[in-house]
Amino acid sequence: MTCLPEKTDKKLGLLIDLNICVGCHACAVSCKEWNTSGITGPMEDLKPYGDDPSGVWYNRIHSYEFKKEDEVDRTVYFPKSCLHCEDAPCVTVCPTGASLKRSEDGIVLVNPDVCIGCKLCSWACPYGAREYDTSAGVMQKCTLCVDKIYDESIEEERRVPTCVSTCPAGARHFGDFADPQSNVSKLAAENDARDLFPEMETKPVNQYLPPQKRVKEADKKLEQKVSTVKDALLKWASLDFSG
Amino acid sequence: MHPALSVIIFTTFSGMGYGLFIWLCGSLLMGDKIDDQSIIMATTLSTILVSIGLIASTLHLGHPERAWRAFSQWRTSWLSREGIMAILTFGPMVFIGGVTYLELGFENLIAPMAVLGILGPIVTIFTTSMIYASLKAIPAWHNVWVKIGYQVYALSSGGVAYIMVAGWLHYMMVTAILVAALVVKIITWIYIDKHRGQYKREDALGLPDFGKAKPFEPAHSQKNYLQREMGYNLSPKKRALMRWLALGCGFVIPAILLYIGFPVALFIALICLGGMMAERWLFFAEAEHVVRLYYDKDTV
Repeated sequence: MTCLPEKTDKKLGLLIDLNICVGCHACAVSCKEWNTSGITGPMEDLKPYGDDPSGVWYNRIHSYEFKKEDEVDRTVYFPKSCLHCEDAPCVTVCPTGASLKRSEDGIVLVNPDVCIGCKLCSWACPYGAREYDTSAGVMQKCTLCVDKIYDESIEEERRVPTCVSTCPAGARHFGDFADPQSNVSKLAAENDARDLFPEMETKPVNQYLPPQKRVKEADKKLEQKVSTVKDALLKWASLDFSG
Repeated sequence: MHPALSVIIFTTFSGMGYGLFIWLCGSLLMGDKIDDQSIIMATTLSTILVSIGLIASTLHLGHPERAWRAFSQWRTSWLSREGIMAILTFGPMVFIGGVTYLELGFENLIAPMAVLGILGPIVTIFTTSMIYASLKAIPAWHNVWVKIGYQVYALSSGGVAYIMVAGWLHYMMVTAILVAALVVKIITWIYIDKHRGQYKREDALGLPDFGKAKPFEPAHSQKNYLQREMGYNLSPKKRALMRWLALGCGFVIPAILLYIGFPVALFIALICLGGMMAERWLFFAEAEHVVRLYYDKDTV
């Protein structure tokens, strides 16, 4: 049913730390590898070795250069996948009920047996989280590795989405945002966590930690220290013991 | 948005069909003397036009054989509501056409059916417009002018078709509606041109306080589904050409030809339909999706 649940018991989602992400694409590759043989696979992969490869990815790693006056330019790597929004417009527009948000954990999924491939959900999503599989004629999206996080046959610490277990930098965290004591809720509360595109009023569950702000005083202190050390070294070099 | 022929045919043909049927029912309710042959022609043509539109819309689907499933989610989905209303609206069309063709009489039922024949198409056209107008991610569609536009364009193009099948009885009224539709279209263009650029890339990234962002390394080397479906680039030159084509063929030329009493109504209807298709092509080609902020657009 495409009615959104009034409240979900859990709000499972990702917290992505933009300050840590190094843009290595390991999460995206690992996502494709896990999910192509998972419950929603195979993921379309046309002409993978040709001139014009195309296919479905649930996770794409963008990167941006930020320019601000009086600051050094910064590069921000920006992984983007489904945000499993609380007010998911992709779910309510679906005419068949293929697009759904689970009341138990808030995960947004597509039922490929019911999807008619009208693509309206991908139009409704402001984030570009959904990609159409032209071979199967159905819409595809991030499942938050629903076939991994509940699998009791694997060790408990590995029961997280594959993008999280793969990240070599520790930039991705997985947990329940409905529980204020969870790892992700605490990290979000302590670190000025951001919603993507709040203007779209989708209430995304996934959160992003912004890059560190430049601290002007810290920069100045460091500059002073450097100049003190430099002065001392110059004095020693000229055998000046005056002060 | 990529202007796909299937969705262009969907709303232009069904719009003309519904408009035609509204004119017929209005005419019946006003007590016009319309001969049976005209009623049969009008109901048949509107049924055919709407059917062509609906069949074209299913060609857009990845699984047309599952299209029946689209009737299930009327509680939240405007597309589902549109499907249901489109089927229900066939009722009055088939009734009025069938009763007249089979000469069954039922004279006291014609008036209530004609009322349904006006309300049904209006609600159906509204649900069609809401498929687009409900999408916040596409600012050019998420406004009241889209809802008003779909109604008037159906009435104007349907009016021209009505004159073709049922004669010139109300040609001045149709001309007036064509002029009104022209005004609505121009206001819509002014509106979307003025509201372009309200969303910024930095908003989309949730980082409005870090200065100006521009794309650095692309996320993928080749275009993906999102860019093919939502990354349509309309050059200013082509936009101007298509806008003139839509205005001229969709509204101005049909209005002038009706006013001067051009004898071949089929010709006027075909020009009008062609103009509406240009208008609908632009409706998609001009609409920018906010997902482009993550790619090539600084503002949408």
